[in-house]
Amino acid sequence: MSTRDLVLTALFAAIIVALGLLPPISLGFIPVPITAQSLGVMMAGVVLGARRGAIAVLIVLLLVAIGLPVLSGGRGGLAIFASPTAGFLVGWIFGAFVTGYLSERLVNHGQSGLVQTVSFFLAAMIGGIVVLYAFGITYLATVAGLGFTKAFVGSMAFIPGDVIKAVVAALLGRAVMVGYPLLPARA
Amino acid sequence: MQSLYVEGNSRMHRLSPRAKLLSLTAFAILLFISHNLLLLSGAVLVAAVLYGTVGLPIGEALLRLRPIFLTIAVVALFNLIFNPWQAALVPVLRLTALMLLAASVTATTTITEFIDEVTALARPLERTGRVQADDIGLALGLVLRFVPEIVNRYQAIREAHKARGLKVRPTSLLAPLIILTLKDADNVAAAIDARRIRRHGS
Repeated sequence: MSTRDLVLTALFAAIIVALGLLPPISLGFIPVPITAQSLGVMMAGVVLGARRGAIAVLIVLLLVAIGLPVLSGGRGGLAIFASPTAGFLVGWIFGAFVTGYLSERLVNHGQSGLVQTVSFFLAAMIGGIVVLYAFGITYLATVAGLGFTKAFVGSMAFIPGDVIKAVVAALLGRAVMVGYPLLPARA
Repeated sequence: MQSLYVEGNSRMHRLSPRAKLLSLTAFAILLFISHNLLLLSGAVLVAAVLYGTVGLPIGEALLRLRPIFLTIAVVALFNLIFNPWQAALVPVLRLTALMLLAASVTATTTITEFIDEVTALARPLERTGRVQADDIGLALGLVLRFVPEIVNRYQAIREAHKARGLKVRPTSLLAPLIILTLKDADNVAAAIDARRIRRHGS
Protein backbone atom coordinates (compact mmCIF):
# COMPACT_ATOMS: atom_id res chain seq x y z
CA MET A 1 0.00 0.00 0.00
CA SER A 2 1.45 3.37 -0.96
CA THR A 3 1.78 6.06 1.67
CA ARG A 4 -0.79 8.11 -0.22
CA ASP A 5 -3.33 5.28 -0.10
CA LEU A 6 -2.63 4.78 3.58
CA VAL A 7 -3.26 8.47 4.27
CA LEU A 8 -6.36 8.56 2.04
CA THR A 9 -7.95 5.65 3.88
CA ALA A 10 -7.08 7.13 7.28
CA LEU A 11 -8.49 10.54 6.31
CA PHE A 12 -11.67 8.94 5.06
CA ALA A 13 -11.98 6.95 8.26
CA ALA A 14 -11.63 10.29 10.06
CA ILE A 15 -14.46 11.68 7.91
CA ILE A 16 -16.70 8.75 8.91
CA VAL A 17 -15.87 9.32 12.58
CA ALA A 18 -16.49 13.06 12.26
CA LEU A 19 -19.87 12.39 10.63
CA GLY A 20 -20.88 10.61 13.83
CA LEU A 21 -20.03 13.68 15.89
CA LEU A 22 -21.97 16.14 13.76
CA PRO A 23 -25.60 16.83 14.49
CA PRO A 24 -27.75 14.82 12.05
CA ILE A 25 -28.43 16.67 8.83
CA SER A 26 -32.13 17.04 8.18
CA LEU A 27 -33.10 16.69 4.55
CA GLY A 28 -35.96 19.17 4.70
CA PHE A 29 -38.42 17.40 2.44
CA ILE A 30 -38.69 14.30 4.61
CA PRO A 31 -38.64 14.03 8.38
CA VAL A 32 -35.82 11.44 8.41
CA PRO A 33 -32.59 12.93 9.67
CA ILE A 34 -29.53 11.55 7.93
CA THR A 35 -27.40 9.86 10.54
CA ALA A 36 -24.35 10.10 8.49
CA GLN A 37 -22.20 7.14 9.44
CA SER A 38 -23.87 4.51 7.27
CA LEU A 39 -23.87 7.16 4.54
CA GLY A 40 -20.13 7.35 5.18
CA VAL A 41 -19.81 3.67 4.34
CA MET A 42 -21.44 4.13 0.93
CA MET A 43 -19.33 7.27 0.38
CA ALA A 44 -16.13 5.36 1.17
CA GLY A 45 -16.99 3.00 -1.67
CA VAL A 46 -18.00 5.59 -4.27
CA VAL A 47 -15.10 7.93 -3.48
CA LEU A 48 -12.20 5.58 -2.74
CA GLY A 49 -13.14 2.40 -4.60
CA ALA A 50 -13.24 -1.18 -3.34
CA ARG A 51 -9.96 -1.82 -1.54
CA ARG A 52 -9.31 1.59 -0.04
CA GLY A 53 -13.00 2.04 0.84
CA ALA A 54 -13.14 -1.25 2.72
CA ILE A 55 -9.89 -0.47 4.56
CA ALA A 56 -11.22 2.95 5.62
CA VAL A 57 -14.26 1.26 7.18
CA LEU A 58 -12.05 -1.41 8.75
CA ILE A 59 -10.02 1.34 10.44
CA VAL A 60 -13.21 2.81 11.94
CA LEU A 61 -14.22 -0.60 13.32
CA LEU A 62 -10.72 -1.07 14.72
CA LEU A 63 -11.12 2.23 16.57
CA VAL A 64 -14.43 0.99 17.97
CA ALA A 65 -12.84 -2.27 19.09
CA ILE A 66 -9.95 -0.61 20.91
CA GLY A 67 -12.34 1.46 23.02
CA LEU A 68 -12.80 4.81 21.36
CA PRO A 69 -16.34 6.20 21.25
CA VAL A 70 -16.29 6.82 17.49
CA LEU A 71 -19.75 5.59 16.53
CA SER A 72 -22.66 8.03 16.46
CA GLY A 73 -24.03 8.78 19.91
CA GLY A 74 -20.59 8.27 21.44
CA ARG A 75 -20.79 4.49 21.25
CA GLY A 76 -17.64 2.40 21.23
CA GLY A 77 -15.76 -0.40 22.88
CA LEU A 78 -15.82 -4.15 22.38
CA ALA A 79 -19.30 -4.35 23.92
CA ILE A 80 -20.74 -2.93 20.67
CA PHE A 81 -19.88 -6.21 18.99
CA ALA A 82 -22.08 -8.06 21.49
CA SER A 83 -25.15 -6.23 20.25
CA PRO A 84 -27.62 -8.19 18.08
CA THR A 85 -27.09 -5.63 15.32
CA ALA A 86 -23.32 -6.17 15.18
CA GLY A 87 -23.76 -7.98 11.85
CA PHE A 88 -24.52 -4.65 10.26
CA LEU A 89 -21.23 -3.25 11.52
CA VAL A 90 -19.23 -6.11 10.08
CA GLY A 91 -21.33 -5.82 6.93
CA TRP A 92 -20.06 -2.23 6.57
CA ILE A 93 -16.69 -3.55 5.42
CA PHE A 94 -18.19 -5.73 2.70
CA GLY A 95 -20.77 -3.08 1.82
CA ALA A 96 -18.04 -0.52 1.20
CA PHE A 97 -16.04 -3.07 -0.79
CA VAL A 98 -18.91 -4.03 -3.11
CA THR A 99 -20.00 -0.40 -3.53
CA GLY A 100 -16.44 0.46 -4.48
CA TYR A 101 -16.02 -2.52 -6.78
CA LEU A 102 -19.20 -1.71 -8.69
CA SER A 103 -18.28 1.99 -8.84
CA GLU A 104 -14.91 1.10 -10.36
CA ARG A 105 -16.60 -1.11 -12.94
CA LEU A 106 -19.61 1.01 -13.82
CA VAL A 107 -18.30 4.57 -13.76
CA ASN A 108 -15.75 6.17 -16.04
CA HIS A 109 -14.86 9.69 -17.04
CA GLY A 110 -16.29 9.49 -20.55
CA GLN A 111 -19.87 9.13 -19.32
CA SER A 112 -22.37 11.91 -18.92
CA GLY A 113 -23.07 13.21 -15.42
CA LEU A 114 -26.44 11.50 -15.30
CA VAL A 115 -25.04 8.09 -16.21
CA GLN A 116 -22.31 8.49 -13.59
CA THR A 117 -24.79 9.47 -10.90
CA VAL A 118 -27.16 6.60 -11.71
CA SER A 119 -24.26 4.12 -11.75
CA PHE A 120 -23.03 5.36 -8.39
CA PHE A 121 -26.59 5.04 -7.09
CA LEU A 122 -26.80 1.41 -8.23
CA ALA A 123 -23.42 0.65 -6.67
CA ALA A 124 -24.47 2.23 -3.37
CA MET A 125 -27.82 0.39 -3.40
CA ILE A 126 -26.28 -3.03 -4.03
CA GLY A 127 -23.25 -2.60 -1.76
CA GLY A 128 -24.70 -0.37 0.93
CA ILE A 129 -28.10 -2.02 1.15
CA VAL A 130 -28.23 -5.54 -0.37
CA VAL A 131 -24.81 -6.68 0.85
CA LEU A 132 -25.01 -4.80 4.15
CA TYR A 133 -28.43 -6.20 5.02
CA ALA A 134 -27.40 -9.71 3.98
CA PHE A 135 -24.79 -9.61 6.74
CA GLY A 136 -26.93 -7.73 9.24
CA ILE A 137 -30.03 -9.87 8.85
CA THR A 138 -28.13 -13.18 8.86
CA TYR A 139 -26.43 -12.27 12.13
CA LEU A 140 -29.64 -10.95 13.67
CA ALA A 141 -31.52 -14.09 12.66
CA THR A 142 -28.88 -16.45 14.05
CA VAL A 143 -27.68 -14.72 17.18
CA ALA A 144 -30.98 -13.31 18.40
CA GLY A 145 -32.81 -16.53 17.56
CA LEU A 146 -35.32 -14.60 15.48
CA GLY A 147 -35.24 -16.61 12.28
CA PHE A 148 -34.77 -15.10 8.84
CA THR A 149 -38.27 -13.98 8.03
CA LYS A 150 -38.74 -12.02 11.23
CA ALA A 151 -35.27 -10.51 11.12
CA PHE A 152 -35.94 -9.52 7.52
CA VAL A 153 -39.30 -7.91 8.26
CA GLY A 154 -37.90 -6.09 11.28
CA SER A 155 -35.06 -4.60 9.26
CA MET A 156 -37.25 -3.34 6.43
CA ALA A 157 -38.21 -0.27 8.45
CA PHE A 158 -34.76 1.17 7.80
CA ILE A 159 -34.72 0.64 4.04
CA PRO A 160 -36.39 3.94 3.00
CA GLY A 161 -33.79 5.97 4.89
CA ASP A 162 -31.02 3.93 3.32
CA VAL A 163 -32.35 4.47 -0.19
CA ILE A 164 -32.17 8.21 0.46
CA LYS A 165 -28.61 7.78 1.68
CA ALA A 166 -27.78 5.95 -1.53
CA VAL A 167 -29.11 8.95 -3.49
CA VAL A 168 -26.98 11.34 -1.42
CA ALA A 169 -23.94 9.07 -1.80
CA ALA A 170 -24.44 8.95 -5.59
CA LEU A 171 -24.63 12.75 -5.83
CA LEU A 172 -21.52 13.02 -3.68
CA GLY A 173 -19.68 10.39 -5.67
CA ARG A 174 -20.36 12.37 -8.82
CA ALA A 175 -19.38 15.68 -7.18
CA VAL A 176 -16.09 14.29 -5.89
CA MET A 177 -15.43 12.65 -9.27
CA VAL A 178 -15.67 16.09 -10.88
CA GLY A 179 -13.75 17.91 -8.16
CA TYR A 180 -11.05 15.44 -7.15
CA PRO A 181 -11.22 12.09 -8.91
CA LEU A 182 -9.62 9.13 -7.15
CA LEU A 183 -11.53 6.22 -8.63
CA PRO A 184 -9.72 5.36 -11.84
CA ALA A 185 -6.53 4.93 -9.79
CA ARG A 186 -7.25 1.21 -9.99
CA ALA A 187 -4.88 0.76 -12.92
CA MET B 1 -11.63 12.15 21.94
CA GLN B 2 -11.85 10.47 25.34
CA SER B 3 -11.09 6.76 25.36
CA LEU B 4 -13.38 4.42 27.30
CA TYR B 5 -10.43 3.28 29.42
CA VAL B 6 -10.83 3.72 33.17
CA GLU B 7 -7.77 4.37 35.36
CA GLY B 8 -7.36 1.76 38.01
CA ASN B 9 -5.43 -1.16 39.38
CA SER B 10 -8.00 -3.94 39.53
CA ARG B 11 -7.20 -7.56 38.72
CA MET B 12 -8.55 -6.97 35.21
CA HIS B 13 -6.22 -4.00 34.78
CA ARG B 14 -3.19 -6.09 35.65
CA LEU B 15 -4.07 -8.93 33.30
CA SER B 16 -2.23 -8.83 29.97
CA PRO B 17 -4.31 -7.56 27.05
CA ARG B 18 -3.70 -10.79 25.16
CA ALA B 19 -5.03 -12.89 28.03
CA LYS B 20 -8.10 -10.68 28.23
CA LEU B 21 -8.86 -10.89 24.53
CA LEU B 22 -8.31 -14.64 24.43
CA SER B 23 -10.58 -15.23 27.42
CA LEU B 24 -13.20 -12.97 25.87
CA THR B 25 -13.13 -15.12 22.73
CA ALA B 26 -13.31 -18.34 24.73
CA PHE B 27 -16.15 -16.94 26.84
CA ALA B 28 -18.06 -15.96 23.70
CA ILE B 29 -17.71 -19.43 22.20
CA LEU B 30 -18.88 -21.09 25.41
CA LEU B 31 -21.86 -18.74 25.64
CA PHE B 32 -22.96 -19.55 22.13
CA ILE B 33 -22.69 -23.30 22.65
CA SER B 34 -24.76 -23.35 25.82
CA HIS B 35 -28.55 -23.28 25.92
CA ASN B 36 -28.82 -23.84 29.64
CA LEU B 37 -30.67 -20.95 31.26
CA LEU B 38 -29.10 -21.54 34.67
CA LEU B 39 -25.58 -21.57 33.24
CA LEU B 40 -26.22 -18.47 31.14
CA SER B 41 -27.69 -16.58 34.12
CA GLY B 42 -24.59 -17.55 36.08
CA ALA B 43 -22.43 -16.14 33.29
CA VAL B 44 -24.34 -12.84 33.39
CA LEU B 45 -23.84 -12.67 37.13
CA VAL B 46 -20.11 -13.36 36.93
CA ALA B 47 -19.65 -10.84 34.10
CA ALA B 48 -21.67 -8.22 36.00
CA VAL B 49 -19.57 -8.67 39.15
CA LEU B 50 -16.41 -8.41 37.05
CA TYR B 51 -17.67 -5.24 35.34
CA GLY B 52 -18.47 -3.90 38.80
CA THR B 53 -14.85 -4.24 39.90
CA VAL B 54 -13.27 -2.18 37.12
CA GLY B 55 -13.77 1.05 39.06
CA LEU B 56 -16.54 2.85 37.18
CA PRO B 57 -19.17 4.71 39.22
CA ILE B 58 -22.38 2.74 38.83
CA GLY B 59 -24.30 5.46 36.96
CA GLU B 60 -21.56 5.90 34.39
CA ALA B 61 -21.16 2.12 34.09
CA LEU B 62 -24.84 1.71 33.20
CA LEU B 63 -24.95 4.76 30.96
CA ARG B 64 -22.18 3.33 28.80
CA LEU B 65 -24.09 0.15 28.08
CA ARG B 66 -27.54 1.66 27.69
CA PRO B 67 -27.62 1.88 23.87
CA ILE B 68 -26.42 -1.70 23.47
CA PHE B 69 -28.79 -2.99 26.11
CA LEU B 70 -31.65 -1.18 24.38
CA THR B 71 -30.96 -3.04 21.13
CA ILE B 72 -30.80 -6.32 23.02
CA ALA B 73 -34.10 -5.49 24.74
CA VAL B 74 -35.85 -4.51 21.50
CA VAL B 75 -34.80 -7.74 19.82
CA ALA B 76 -35.83 -9.72 22.90
CA LEU B 77 -39.26 -8.10 22.85
CA PHE B 78 -39.65 -8.92 19.18
CA ASN B 79 -38.54 -12.46 19.96
CA LEU B 80 -41.00 -12.82 22.80
CA ILE B 81 -43.93 -12.12 20.49
CA PHE B 82 -43.12 -15.14 18.34
CA ASN B 83 -41.27 -17.59 20.58
CA PRO B 84 -41.81 -19.13 24.03
CA TRP B 85 -40.15 -17.12 26.79
CA GLN B 86 -37.39 -19.68 27.40
CA ALA B 87 -36.24 -19.42 23.80
CA ALA B 88 -36.41 -15.64 23.93
CA LEU B 89 -34.40 -15.48 27.15
CA VAL B 90 -31.40 -17.45 25.85
CA PRO B 91 -30.08 -14.81 23.42
CA VAL B 92 -30.75 -12.02 25.94
CA LEU B 93 -28.63 -13.69 28.63
CA ARG B 94 -25.94 -14.63 26.13
CA LEU B 95 -25.58 -11.16 24.68
CA THR B 96 -25.84 -9.43 28.06
CA ALA B 97 -23.06 -11.58 29.53
CA LEU B 98 -20.90 -10.99 26.48
CA MET B 99 -21.61 -7.25 26.54
CA LEU B 100 -20.61 -6.96 30.22
CA LEU B 101 -17.40 -8.92 29.76
CA ALA B 102 -16.46 -7.00 26.59
CA ALA B 103 -17.11 -3.72 28.40
CA SER B 104 -14.83 -4.83 31.24
CA VAL B 105 -12.02 -5.55 28.76
CA THR B 106 -12.52 -2.15 27.12
CA ALA B 107 -12.53 -0.33 30.46
CA THR B 108 -9.31 -1.95 31.66
CA THR B 109 -7.15 -1.86 28.54
CA THR B 110 -5.45 1.31 27.31
CA ILE B 111 -5.47 2.36 23.66
CA THR B 112 -1.69 1.84 23.52
CA GLU B 113 -2.01 -1.71 24.82
CA PHE B 114 -4.67 -2.44 22.24
CA ILE B 115 -2.65 -1.00 19.36
CA ASP B 116 0.43 -3.00 20.44
CA GLU B 117 -1.71 -6.13 20.53
CA VAL B 118 -3.25 -5.51 17.10
CA THR B 119 0.21 -4.78 15.67
CA ALA B 120 1.58 -8.00 17.15
CA LEU B 121 -1.35 -9.92 15.67
CA ALA B 122 -0.75 -8.43 12.23
CA ARG B 123 3.00 -9.13 12.32
CA PRO B 124 2.73 -12.65 10.82
CA LEU B 125 0.68 -11.21 7.95
CA GLU B 126 3.71 -9.18 6.86
CA ARG B 127 5.04 -12.29 5.17
CA THR B 128 2.21 -12.10 2.66
CA GLY B 129 3.67 -8.76 1.57
CA ARG B 130 0.28 -7.05 1.71
CA VAL B 131 0.29 -5.68 5.25
CA GLN B 132 2.82 -3.70 7.22
CA ALA B 133 1.97 -4.15 10.88
CA ASP B 134 3.38 -0.74 11.85
CA ASP B 135 1.06 0.97 9.38
CA ILE B 136 -1.90 0.08 11.60
CA GLY B 137 -0.71 2.31 14.45
CA LEU B 138 0.16 5.05 11.96
CA ALA B 139 -3.30 4.91 10.37
CA LEU B 140 -5.08 5.00 13.74
CA GLY B 141 -2.93 7.94 14.82
CA LEU B 142 -3.77 9.81 11.61
CA VAL B 143 -7.49 9.33 12.17
CA LEU B 144 -7.35 10.70 15.72
CA ARG B 145 -5.23 13.62 14.54
CA PHE B 146 -7.65 14.57 11.75
CA VAL B 147 -11.09 14.15 13.32
CA PRO B 148 -11.10 17.55 15.09
CA GLU B 149 -9.72 19.16 11.94
CA ILE B 150 -12.59 17.77 9.88
CA VAL B 151 -15.21 18.88 12.40
CA ASN B 152 -13.77 22.42 12.32
CA ARG B 153 -13.72 22.39 8.55
CA TYR B 154 -17.35 21.27 8.45
CA GLN B 155 -18.33 24.17 10.68
CA ALA B 156 -16.38 26.62 8.52
CA ILE B 157 -18.10 25.39 5.34
CA ARG B 158 -21.45 25.58 7.08
CA GLU B 159 -20.85 29.16 8.13
CA ALA B 160 -19.68 30.10 4.65
CA HIS B 161 -22.94 28.70 3.29
CA LYS B 162 -24.98 30.66 5.79
CA ALA B 163 -23.06 33.88 5.15
CA ARG B 164 -23.89 33.63 1.47
CA GLY B 165 -27.51 32.78 2.19
CA LEU B 166 -27.17 29.27 0.73
CA LYS B 167 -29.33 26.44 1.96
CA VAL B 168 -27.42 23.92 4.06
CA ARG B 169 -27.84 20.67 2.16
CA PRO B 170 -25.98 17.41 2.75
CA THR B 171 -24.54 17.27 -0.76
CA SER B 172 -23.44 20.89 -0.91
CA LEU B 173 -21.78 20.57 2.52
CA LEU B 174 -20.25 17.12 2.27
CA ALA B 175 -18.77 17.41 -1.22
CA PRO B 176 -16.41 20.31 -0.37
CA LEU B 177 -15.67 18.71 3.00
CA ILE B 178 -14.55 15.47 1.37
CA ILE B 179 -12.65 17.11 -1.47
CA LEU B 180 -10.79 19.50 0.84
CA THR B 181 -9.93 16.70 3.26
CA LEU B 182 -8.71 14.30 0.60
CA LYS B 183 -6.61 17.03 -1.00
CA ASP B 184 -4.64 17.12 2.27
CA ALA B 185 -3.68 13.50 1.71
CA ASP B 186 -0.90 14.32 -0.74
CA ASN B 187 0.75 16.76 1.65
CA VAL B 188 0.46 14.42 4.59
CA ALA B 189 1.81 11.52 2.55
CA ALA B 190 4.74 13.64 1.37
CA ALA B 191 5.48 14.66 4.96
CA ILE B 192 5.39 11.05 6.12
CA ASP B 193 7.77 9.94 3.38
CA ALA B 194 10.09 12.93 3.88
CA ARG B 195 10.49 12.02 7.55
CA ARG B 196 10.88 8.32 6.71
CA ILE B 197 8.22 7.41 9.24
CA ARG B 198 7.40 4.21 7.40
CA ARG B 199 10.39 1.93 7.34
CA HIS B 200 9.27 0.29 4.13
CA GLY B 201 8.51 3.44 2.16
CA SER B 202 5.97 3.48 -0.65
